[in-house]
Order: sequence, then C-alpha cells, then structure tokens
Amino acid sequence: MVEASSVEIRKVNKYYGQFHALKDIDLTIPPGKVTCLIGPSGSGKSSLLRCINFLEEYDSGEVLIDGQLIGYETPGGRRMAPRRLRQMRSTIGMVFQQFNLWPHMTAQENVAEGLIRVRGMRKPQAMERAAEALTRVGLADRMGNHPSRLSGGQQQRVAIARAVAMDPRLMLFDEPTSALDPELVGEVLNVMKALAAGGMTMVVVTHEMGFAAHVADQVAFLEAGELVGVDVPSRILREPEDPRIQSFLRTYRERNVI
Amino acid sequence: MDLSIFTEYGPRLLAGFRLTIICWLLGTVFGAALGLLIAVAQRYGGRSVRWALQTYIELIRGTPFLVQLFLLYYGGPMIGLRLDPLPAGLLGLTIYGSPYFAEIFRSAFRAVPPGLIEAGRAIGMTELAIVRRILLPVGLVSALPALINFSIILTKETVILSIITVPEIMYQTQYMATMTFTFLEGYFTLALFFWAFVEVISRLGRRLERRITRHLIERT
Ligand SMILES: Nc1ncnc2c1ncn2[C@@H]1O[C@H](COP(=O)(O)OP(=O)(O)OP(=O)(O)O)[C@@H](O)[C@H]1O
Ligand SMILES: [Mg+2]
Repeated sequence: MVEASSVEIRKVNKYYGQFHALKDIDLTIPPGKVTCLIGPSGSGKSSLLRCINFLEEYDSGEVLIDGQLIGYETPGGRRMAPRRLRQMRSTIGMVFQQFNLWPHMTAQENVAEGLIRVRGMRKPQAMERAAEALTRVGLADRMGNHPSRLSGGQQQRVAIARAVAMDPRLMLFDEPTSALDPELVGEVLNVMKALAAGGMTMVVVTHEMGFAAHVADQVAFLEAGELVGVDVPSRILREPEDPRIQSFLRTYRERNVI
Repeated sequence: MDLSIFTEYGPRLLAGFRLTIICWLLGTVFGAALGLLIAVAQRYGGRSVRWALQTYIELIRGTPFLVQLFLLYYGGPMIGLRLDPLPAGLLGLTIYGSPYFAEIFRSAFRAVPPGLIEAGRAIGMTELAIVRRILLPVGLVSALPALINFSIILTKETVILSIITVPEIMYQTQYMATMTFTFLEGYFTLALFFWAFVEVISRLGRRLERRITRHLIERT
C-alpha cells in the first residue's frame, strides 16, 4: 500500500483576468480514493486540477495537501518559497492529456529524469528504477524507444510510469485518454485501475463515464466554474437531482449511442 | 592568367584562409553563446532586463556591421578600449551576430510546447534544471536550421574585418592583387573559396540536423 495523501479544497476562486473560472469551490478528496471530475468543456475541470499542484495559481481560498497549504505561506498571504513548492510537487504525480513526454529522451530516460534531478539519485540506480516502473506498466520491451517511436497508449503509460516512479502520494490525471485512439484507451485505463487498487489517491478529469462509474469512489460535477454536485457514482451518474447534471448526462448518452 | 603568383603568395593566402575560418568559427560560437544568454535572460528576466536587452537587439540590428566595427576599433581608444585588429574583429563579430542568434533562440524557446516545461515543474524540477534539461535541448533542435543559416551568413561578413587590417583572406587577396595586378585571379580564387566554404558548412549542417532529429521524427 502506498502512503496516500488527502486534499482539502476550501472556497477556492480563480480568475483569468476578468473571467471567473472557479467559484468558491469546496471539495474534500479522501486518501486512497479515486475522485473523478466531470462536466462540460470549459467548466473549469483542468483549472481546478491544476490548482492542486499549483501549476495554476488560485486567487483566494485554500488548497491543502495533507493539511499543508500549497502555493502560499498563509491563506491569502505571500507565495511559498520555490523550494518548498518543488518539494510538495515532487510527491504529487501529474499525467497530462498530451502526455508531455520529453521528446529527446528515451522512455527510460524520461522516467529516470525526475529521480536524478529531483530525488538526487545516481544515474544507474535511477535507470534501474525506471526500468522497474516501465515493466509495471507493461513496457519492459520499449524502454529504449523515444516517444516518437511509441503509440499514444504507450506514451501515456510511460507518462504514468514517470509520475509513479517518484513515489507520489497523490496522482492527478487531466483527461489521460482523450488524445488516444479508441482502441488504445483500455490499456491506459487498466494501468490507472491497478494504481487505484493499490490505494493511490487519484483525481481524474475524464470524459470516460464508464471509468467514473466503475472505478471512482466519488464524482464531482462542475459547470461554469461551479461545483454543482459531489456524490458516489451510483447516485450522481444514475439518479442526479440537479437538472444541469441530468442534461449533461443526457447529451453524453446521446453522443455515445451508436 | 598568371598562375605563378600563387607560388609566391600561396602561403599568405593559406594563412588568410585559416584566419577567415578561425574568425568565422569563433564569431559564430561566441555570438551564439551571447545570443543564448540574452534569450534566456529575456525569458526569465524582469521587465527592465527585457527592455534593456530588446533595446540592445534593436540597436545592433539597426546599424551596419562596418559602422559597429569602426566604432569599436577607432572609437574604442577614446574611451580607453584599445584593441588589436584581431580581438577587435572577433569582438565585433560576436556583438554583431548576437542579436540575430538571440532572436533565433527566443523563437525556438517559444516553440517548445509549454506542456514539456509543465511536466518538469509538476515533477518538482528546478527552473535551472528545466532550462538545461528540457528547454535548451528541445529548443536547440528546432533552432538548428536557422542557426546554420545565420552562421552561413556570418562567413561572408568576416571579409569586413579586412578593413580594420585583420589579415584574413580578403586582406591577403587584396594585398596580392594590388602588388601584382592579378585582380581577376585573386578575386576569383576568393569567390571559389567562399563558395566551397559555405558548401561544406551547409553539408555538415544538414548531416548534423539529420543526426539530431533522427529519433524525433514521427514514424509513419
Ligand atoms: N490561460 C487561460 N487564460 C484565459 N482563460 C482561460 C485560461 N485557461 C482556461 N481558461 C478559461 O477558463 C475556463 C475553464 O477552463 P478549463 O480548461 O479549466 O476547462 P475544462 O473544464 O478543463 O474544459 P475542457 O473539458 O475543454 O478541457 C474556460 O472557459 C477557459 O476558456
Ligand atoms: Mg480541460
């Protein structure tokens, strides 16, 4: 079992210039559980996710990782020292829609990079550890490939291995399967399911309602920067009370009926 | 055509060729290094640093190389900067090339997908590590064609150093031509030399490009 983090989001507000992208968001992400963020395009899912590791700075409110404020020294106070921020980020893994693998490094080097630069490991140990992480995502035979020589699904599994190799206590996923051809989605979701089964705290922005329904412990629905509802998937996906959620799910079903 | 002059002036010409190549090489390396420094400082510096560097870039780009060189070589001593022709020429070339190199690097950095930088930040890398390990190597690859192109342009700018008496190939050819009235032979040889020089650089450049981008090209 990994040591898993909890996240507490309190009254978070985020503006892009005049545009109010996140409005008083309150959300508790329990340790060792999977939380899915769903909602229409532009509702603020990515923004909220990126506030959790402070890739996006929020303007007010608090984001607490295991009770520790991220990004600021005190709520509404000065920015936290870069060193502290880096240290907190190094325990939070992130997986992006576009994979964001470093194109000039092999799969194995991509995974080893953080171990060397952030964890201060020596290269041979880091490469060994990277090989283990890649083996766990089923890429033992592709370690020497550059990203351009990997399929989308393989690239995303390397990206997951890169995050997991750092021994994170929390993993953030921003639409990890949206850039993939349909037949490659399954292999990535399987890796994520295995992580979830291992007790990792996961926050997943996704359009995969199947994944949300079967793997998530809770689902949060956002619309126009507001958190409209949070509940276990069986309730929020099957019998939502809020009409905005009902209409979102109706559109989703219509689009996915063949 | 009188080819016997080449036996007499051959050594001078050879020395000139060598010096031209050295000037080009050092001018390119120093100019690119200064340009790189400027581009990184522009990316990470505050508003005033960016403004100062932008002004420098515009000033240098907006003035002829010859004027810059005269300022440095003839004007320099008036403010206590007394340089021999060769150091003055190299410094001049470095300064002259730096804004072009800076712009090449700047746009190459802008072309690096922000997600690659974010991936580094998300994992907890320092900004310095991100620059060294991600921004530079990825940016350099996309900058390479423009870098090679500008270094080719610089080969031809080196002849201007002859005006401040740097004994490079233009200077030596002029010397030979005026001493022996072999303008046609002399300048024809000079033209041939530059053509071959540029050809070699662009071939090497293409090979380097292929090598570096080998594994970056999407297999189809
Ligand atoms: N850097 C930015 N500058 C200005 N506006 C932004 C920026 N990033 C996001 N926005 C706006 O904020 C809103 C929320 O964006 P966000 O990316 O969080 O939405 P999302 O729910 O992730 O959407 P999608 O499903 O399309 O990824 C959108 O209206 C978007 O246009
Ligand atoms: Mg998004």
